[in-house]
Amino acid sequence: MKCTKRRHRPPEKLSADVNMGHGFAERVAYGLLGVLVACAVWQLASTKIGVSLVLPGPSEVAHAFFTLMWKSTFWKAVCGTFERVLMAFVISLVLGFCTGMIAGLNTPFRDMIAPFITIIRATPVMALILILMFWFPAGQVPVVSAMLMAYPVVHTSLYQGTIGTDKNLLEMARIFKVPKHTVFFRLRLPAVRGHLASAAKNCLGLCWKVIVAGEVLSQPRFALGTGLQSARLSLDTAGVFAWAITSIALCGISEFLLGLVAKKLQEEEAINA
Amino acid sequence: MHDFTLHNISKSFGNLEVLHSISALFPEASVTAVLGPSGAGKTTLLNLVSGLLLPDSGSMGDFENATFSYAFQDPRLLPWLDVEENLRFALSSLHDKAQAETRAHEFLKEAGLEEFRHSFPAQLSGGMRQRASLVRAFAFPSDVLLLDEALSAVDIKVRIELLDLFARLWEEERRTTIFVSHDLHDALYIADQIILLSARPATVIDSITIEIPRELRSYDAGQLKDVERRLYREILASS
Repeated sequence: MKCTKRRHRPPEKLSADVNMGHGFAERVAYGLLGVLVACAVWQLASTKIGVSLVLPGPSEVAHAFFTLMWKSTFWKAVCGTFERVLMAFVISLVLGFCTGMIAGLNTPFRDMIAPFITIIRATPVMALILILMFWFPAGQVPVVSAMLMAYPVVHTSLYQGTIGTDKNLLEMARIFKVPKHTVFFRLRLPAVRGHLASAAKNCLGLCWKVIVAGEVLSQPRFALGTGLQSARLSLDTAGVFAWAITSIALCGISEFLLGLVAKKLQEEEAINA
Repeated sequence: MHDFTLHNISKSFGNLEVLHSISALFPEASVTAVLGPSGAGKTTLLNLVSGLLLPDSGSMGDFENATFSYAFQDPRLLPWLDVEENLRFALSSLHDKAQAETRAHEFLKEAGLEEFRHSFPAQLSGGMRQRASLVRAFAFPSDVLLLDEALSAVDIKVRIELLDLFARLWEEERRTTIFVSHDLHDALYIADQIILLSARPATVIDSITIEIPRELRSYDAGQLKDVERRLYREILASS
């Protein structure tokens, strides 16, 4: 009789903790309620101030947003920024993953790279963008600055994950003389996947913020930051809000999608632990 | 295959002397139980034997060139791999992959774990995890088998099942075994020789050979009472 391998799924026992006692529909309803309350407060403040140049109301911003959406430059800007975010995210994730794991396995390398990581961490993002503007074309400045800002986050997380790998399991692998490549792929990599997931989530949020800030200063042709800056220069406060909301929404959507993957990995890790 | 010996092994951690001039003979293809009080350095002795630690002085003899398999006090199964994959992970140093597959499959079947082979460690009871750890140790073809209180964290019923499983697997593929425990009954049940260690710094108090055939032993076998009484006297005298 042919024996087919059937993989048991780890038990779904964390759902109560993850949902904190609420169902998905309830969570969405409460979230929407929060947004409505914020909009009401915003509208009240706008009415009280009475000058849309200082604080436009939600309806004005919504109008500006829908006007923007019909322009092709808006979508080109969205695509341009998204492309930059994706590039910075992937580069910093790959680089941080590699150096973080190597630093966790090799002490001389860890000590060698430590000053570089400390300097990047301490450098103010605006100073970095301004320096990079001397060296790179406008379209690349946001990518390089986001990469440099997000890379230490990933590096540190992976380093912590690597040095935190269960010593007992490594000892067991040593006793059974498990080949190094098997230890790497079957033990070390799965042991850091939770760290990788949370690092990726933090890295993505940081990339969006730094990319848009970099675009505001370096002014690439198609970018959300360029749109923000143009609206500000033409004293179009509603336009500034519309561009800002676009970048917040895109960041939120991409973080949500990545969060689904991260949550799955972290839940599996928690179940296995 | 041959006897393994330790000559005057001493080990300290800082100012704390754990083992003092330990000498012992471990006969070929026999089970030696190392008994001693908690904290006496029994696990340290196994770690020295397996090469995880180096002695401060003394000679490890042929242990230096031996291969080992180890059943730890905690099962040390990879939580993201199922039982069968855990076995294959431990066997991945074998060059003959077909042999590794066959051994993994045979030992799982022998241990009654076949239907749980695709279960993850978190889905198994403590006793089943310990069983998987024991099977992994047997499945790895080593010169010396080491068991570090591998049966201590389970209840008495599971412990007897595990001891029976151990005896069955061991008879099929006899190899030099060092079994560390603080439980006299476990040692009497499966050991051919018992080495009694003193409290820290541990020295060898006595080495007793058990002549009663293993098949005549049970957890309450009357024949073992004389050995048990002698060991109790030794332990009381040493303390």
